[in-house]
Amino acid sequence: QEVTLRIHQFLPAQATMPAGAIEPWANKVSEESEGRIKFELYPAMQLGGAPAELYDQAKDGVVDIVWTVLGYTPGRFPKSEVFELPFMSPNGEIGSAAFYNYVMANSADEFAGVHVIALHTHGPGLFHSKDPINTLEDIKGMKVRGGSRIISDMLANLGAEPIGMPVPQTTEALSKGVIDGTTVPWEVTPSIRVAELVTNHTGFTSQYGLYTQTFGFIMNQDSYNNLPDDLKAIIDANSGLEVSRQFGMVMDEGDARGLKIAVDAGNNIVQLDEAQTQLWIDAAQPTIDKWFADMEGQGIDGKALYDAARAAVAAEM
Amino acid sequence: MFRDESRLGRFVVGLAMWLAIAGGLVLMAMVAMICISIVGRALLAFGLKPITGDYELVSIGMGFAVFAFMPWAHLTRAHALVSLITDSFGPAINNWILVVTDLMMLATSAFIAWRLYFGMMDKFAYKETTLLLRFPLSWAYAMGFVGAVIWVIVSLYVLGRSIGYATRGESEPKRMGAEV
Amino acid sequence: MTPLMLGFLGLPTVLILIFLRVPIGIAMFAVGIFGTWMITGNFNPVAAQFKNLTYSTFASYSLSVVPLFLLMGQFATVSGLSASLFNAAAAWLGHRKGGVAMAAIGASAGFGAICGSSLATAATMGQVALPELKKYGYSGALSTATVAAGGTLGILIPPSIILVIFAVLTEQNIAKLFMAAFIPGILAAIGYLIVIAIYVRMVPGSGGTRERMPYGERFKALGQTWPVMLVFLAVIGGIYGGIFTPTEAAAVGAAGTFLIALAARRLNRKEIVEACLSTASSTAMIFLIVFGAAALNGFLALSQVPQTLAMWVGEQGFNPWMVMILVLIFYLILGCFMDSLSMILLTVPIIYPMMSVLDFGLTPDEFGIWFGIIVLIVVEVGLITPPVGMNLFIINSMSPQTRLSETYRGVVPFVASDIIRTAILVAFPPITLFLVWMLY
Ligand code: NA
Ligand code: NA
Repeated sequence: QEVTLRIHQFLPAQATMPAGAIEPWANKVSEESEGRIKFELYPAMQLGGAPAELYDQAKDGVVDIVWTVLGYTPGRFPKSEVFELPFMSPNGEIGSAAFYNYVMANSADEFAGVHVIALHTHGPGLFHSKDPINTLEDIKGMKVRGGSRIISDMLANLGAEPIGMPVPQTTEALSKGVIDGTTVPWEVTPSIRVAELVTNHTGFTSQYGLYTQTFGFIMNQDSYNNLPDDLKAIIDANSGLEVSRQFGMVMDEGDARGLKIAVDAGNNIVQLDEAQTQLWIDAAQPTIDKWFADMEGQGIDGKALYDAARAAVAAEM
Repeated sequence: MFRDESRLGRFVVGLAMWLAIAGGLVLMAMVAMICISIVGRALLAFGLKPITGDYELVSIGMGFAVFAFMPWAHLTRAHALVSLITDSFGPAINNWILVVTDLMMLATSAFIAWRLYFGMMDKFAYKETTLLLRFPLSWAYAMGFVGAVIWVIVSLYVLGRSIGYATRGESEPKRMGAEV
Repeated sequence: MTPLMLGFLGLPTVLILIFLRVPIGIAMFAVGIFGTWMITGNFNPVAAQFKNLTYSTFASYSLSVVPLFLLMGQFATVSGLSASLFNAAAAWLGHRKGGVAMAAIGASAGFGAICGSSLATAATMGQVALPELKKYGYSGALSTATVAAGGTLGILIPPSIILVIFAVLTEQNIAKLFMAAFIPGILAAIGYLIVIAIYVRMVPGSGGTRERMPYGERFKALGQTWPVMLVFLAVIGGIYGGIFTPTEAAAVGAAGTFLIALAARRLNRKEIVEACLSTASSTAMIFLIVFGAAALNGFLALSQVPQTLAMWVGEQGFNPWMVMILVLIFYLILGCFMDSLSMILLTVPIIYPMMSVLDFGLTPDEFGIWFGIIVLIVVEVGLITPPVGMNLFIINSMSPQTRLSETYRGVVPFVASDIIRTAILVAFPPITLFLVWMLY
């Protein structure tokens, strides 16, 4: 018996994750099944819809498998959202393993109705700006794009002016100076050409990065259930903690590549020292408190989840 | 009954027209909002601020406006179609072609409204929001759903209208629009 | 039937439905969902996808420029701004043979410099130019074809919606693309002027001339276009000065023309209602097609037709220029049936990676810009190629006494000039890249 599984995702085929994680995963599964599982890869939302619809496309069986950013549907995964809080995760490998374990223990119910293959994070987010950010003072009044509400909140607490803007608009806005900077991990910088548009990149000495986004590699439940047992076993062998960790490592490799481009371009790479980093961590605390209050409004114990998330990260370090 | 001069006709025309005007006014409000946000962003140094979530507001406004425009466009026959070949078929056949294509439009609008309803219910259930304003997507869908429902009503009326003309052996009067 | 066969049957089926007078968006939608249904063998995924697809297609931030530019065109007409543009162009060109039609091209080029949408440019200039062309005895064929072709200058001359979308899809620099589009845009306008000059000489009685104006009058007419200059400066200054993005420029343009209409005391309740209803009709027409194309695109991607074609071309080992020619022919054919936006969204993610590995003697950045401009031009040709040409539809509907077949005939020489220009730009990349080299 042969099956064809369709994988839909939002980035071009040559981007870090599609080329470095998803396609190799598909090839590996296909080989282990001796060709009985075939994959059709649909990059760049080719089968239609907006990226925010991907999760439902997997849930409803529009396609068999999707790779998506969980933050694209704010409000839908409140308990998993804790990983987006500032200074949570050090890198893709550790963050991904921790995130997978955390979800399985604390928020698996948010993924009811789908079959989870992998859950992962990207590497540490950092600042990319026209003018150098050497101290907490430097960011005051800067127009900075933040990718989520938590990041925008934090930017406002830090004294910057958060500009909410979709990723595709960022290149255009950055190149003309409509915004002064943006927060993305290194991995994303080559595709939106950040290193050409700005000359300053500011990261942190802390073992944790400024912020993290979370991703899901998700399969339709029926597509999984309908597989014969031996093929299910092959999918199972290529799911879970180690695949999540592997996806995170691909993110880290992408980060290294992005960093190298900026270094080769002769850009100014700032590493804030311990004392400065602590100032930023302190300044981010109101954002975390606000998130606790938000969660309390929904009857969720945010503090407990936060502690669980920190413990999950610590366990991997 | 299915004539623009009848009571039903005047009601449906009025409904579609006011909805389209509401959509137009929302567009104008979007223009104002974007300009205010641009000014706020440009004059940060003077203590002004851009509007939080301006991009999201544009999307929500678009969702309402485009759905709001659909009934009016169908009622006034503004949709693009090609009558190059069918013109040689004679009026009777053309009148019935119109009935068939109006039926297709009804099927399409009904399908869209039906599916949008379930999309809206999903959004209520999953509590999804926009990124920055945390505006519930369910409400945004509901605003579009208003237009979709009126689109179905107008499609029913337009179908009745074209059946009426076809059975009487008359042709619909030419309207301004993209009909070619 | 295999998905591939279904895919290859898709486009002809759409075509048959369109010729049976089915609204274009509905024809695409019907074939799209039935095709997807047949490939997946199950209606549930189709139904599930449309829970969100319609809403997300309509509630699109990047497509908000379409209604906003249309609204801008409405205000430009109400305020007399488009009339002043046409008058200025007519003062300089109107006395030549075919001069009134030439003026329509000139005015479209001027409006294209502040408007990023072809449809909005065609619809706006059509309202001013069509009555004038009629008054001076221009045939319906030449009049509608001129305005429809002139409308494509809306996209060819920056700002340009399509270039923004291409830049996003291929990760190119928008400012450089705008810069590169400039000379080809001017060449387009010149090409259209030449077409008109030849046309009126070859088809006697196709159009008259206005009286020659003294230079004083000409400069006076030019001076009266100052509101256009004002909007132009605001839009271009704002984009290049880093005050707003090209997408936001649509709102700035609409606000600018609105204020000018307000200052001219031409806006009353009736005018605003008219502006709303016209914008509603044109916007709905475009979005129904964009929606249908989204359904059709999904089906075509699922059928693997574009992927298979791209792979086939890749395996033939053709020389790069041969591949380029094949791709452009493919675009021209596709452009006969699809709207430009859907074409870009369907093809660029597949064709761009395939083309970018071929060697044309350019750096990757140069190639991206050059190819972007050429794709821009060939998809814009699609707006005026029969049978599905959005500009042709819009303009023909504004000229009820002209039959569509006449418009189809009239537009042929304009399409020919587009094809010649494309060939020149393909053969000589420096024409496109010159300004970018100069300024960066
Ligand atoms: Na333009
Ligand atoms: Na065409």
